[in-house]
Amino acid sequence: MEQLMKILEDINPDNDYATETALIDGGLLDSFAILELVSALEDAYGVEITATELVPKNFNSAQAMWDMIQRLQKN
Amino acid sequence: MQYVSLLYLLAFLPLVLLLYRLLPQRRRWRLLLAASYVFFFLMSKQLIFYLFFSAISIHGIGLWLDACDAAAARAEGEAAEAARLACAQKKKRILCYGVVLHIGLLVLLKYAPFFGQNLNALLLKLPLPVQLPELSLGVPVGISFFSLQAVSYISDVYHRRIRADDNLGRLALFLAFFPVVVEGPICRYSDTAQTLYEGKPLEYENVTFGIQRMVWGLFKKLVIADRLNILVEKIFTNYRDYSGIVVLLGAVCYTLQLYADFSGCIDLTIGTAEMFGVTVPENFRQPFFSRTASEFWRRWHITLGTWFKDYLFYPLSLTKHVKKIGREARKKLGRHLGQAAQVFLPLLAVWVCNGLWHGAGWNYLFFGLYYFILILLGNLWEPAAAGIAKFLHLNREGFLWRAMQTVKMAAIVVTGELFFRANGLRAGFSMFRSIFTGWSAAVLRNGALMKLGLDGYDFAAAAIGLVFVLAVDILHENGISVRRETAELSLPIRWSIYLAAILLVVIFGAYGTGYLPVDPLYAGF
Repeated sequence: MEQLMKILEDINPDNDYATETALIDGGLLDSFAILELVSALEDAYGVEITATELVPKNFNSAQAMWDMIQRLQKN
Repeated sequence: MQYVSLLYLLAFLPLVLLLYRLLPQRRRWRLLLAASYVFFFLMSKQLIFYLFFSAISIHGIGLWLDACDAAAARAEGEAAEAARLACAQKKKRILCYGVVLHIGLLVLLKYAPFFGQNLNALLLKLPLPVQLPELSLGVPVGISFFSLQAVSYISDVYHRRIRADDNLGRLALFLAFFPVVVEGPICRYSDTAQTLYEGKPLEYENVTFGIQRMVWGLFKKLVIADRLNILVEKIFTNYRDYSGIVVLLGAVCYTLQLYADFSGCIDLTIGTAEMFGVTVPENFRQPFFSRTASEFWRRWHITLGTWFKDYLFYPLSLTKHVKKIGREARKKLGRHLGQAAQVFLPLLAVWVCNGLWHGAGWNYLFFGLYYFILILLGNLWEPAAAGIAKFLHLNREGFLWRAMQTVKMAAIVVTGELFFRANGLRAGFSMFRSIFTGWSAAVLRNGALMKLGLDGYDFAAAAIGLVFVLAVDILHENGISVRRETAELSLPIRWSIYLAAILLVVIFGAYGTGYLPVDPLYAGF
């Protein structure tokens, strides 16, 4: 989770990732940032994130992203 | 029958509302379905066939995709993995069939004449005595919208975001719902289909809010857009006769006309849907307060932008080949430039499609590429801009900085709309050049502006109308809902405002003698 927070801070340091739950719905991360994030998560955690996973509920908060990563690692 | 016609507003819609009220809840969706197909038939006659075809085909494709998943889920033991792989391959093929079928039909109907003409022009330059026959099959109204809804449904079933709908009627209604079918917004099955099917009762709040929204839409369309249309038509049709300030005025007025027309018609759409308790997504969010080109497209025609993002940009950006390009580029160029290299081709595809979606013409393609370049450069420039602002201690959230960015965006948008509206790309460049070459302030004094089809009264009516729109947009930008605030006023004041709004439209609307009825602009795209 700590590593995830660092990745998120690197991409856009203006958001409060510990508490924010509407990163996508609130327009805090745009599509370019999402793709940058996907690349960083794939490199850091060795998972493959497909277009199917690119839905707001997987990226609206740091916790949601963490849950998605753990689910993909198990598969 | 257009949304702003008396036939629609005073006969068709009230009749549907009355019958809807009288029918039992479980039958109401059938009424909406029948009304939608009658509405479509009145506009497109026998071309309704394409709408039927779309509904039947996505119904079949959805069930086919679902059947694959069900077959894979039934497999057990060692056969399960093989069945899962076979299912994935088969689903990909089915998705391709569906997309090719719907996008292919759209391309065939809408773009065949454009490609045919350009190919024939090319063949004329070659020593080949061959010319292709002109192919014109007729374009049903709204095909650009319902085709995208059809593809989004198939794709969502493929990705298992939704289950395939086994009710053909419900799917047919989702594609054809009469307030939406002409010019959107582009709805998602998951947001809209169930609310269409539920047959919610007509509630006081929904109906009054719906009527308010429709009156606001009529105000924008009839008082502003249709009035400005006279001036816009004159300048863009006779563009060789004008230059300098007049052409600039034409481009500005067209931008405002398009906003008032399209957002006004969307207000009519959302207002109508609201009366029936149907959820339809918003399509505009104060676009002229944008600070960058990409933000503008997150606020203008929102449902088209999100469609391209979800169904083209993301899937293309996440293909194995594009990811590989990104990985290599990040190693050589660093994180930011490498990421830009990864999105280059998908972004180009999005903006070529966006441009051509609006119409078959080189100026539309140019319009798409114009925004592609602006958005790409904006993204590349952003880290440097942030660095410079930090170095100079500039507050990028301050009023002055924001105001400058808003003015910059206004210039960018007006320039784009000039090419978008011009009668061809050559005319667009000619008009753009003439803004700078024929600049003369004399037109402001010699009465030339009064010879553009609008008199002082028209200019004043349009200007006052635009002040209203600006005021409402400022309130919305600050999180204040005008409708909610109005609804909380006492009954006499509230109804006085409603009646005044209706009277404003009736008295100041640009219709009748001296004005031509103007079809919704986006219905032509």
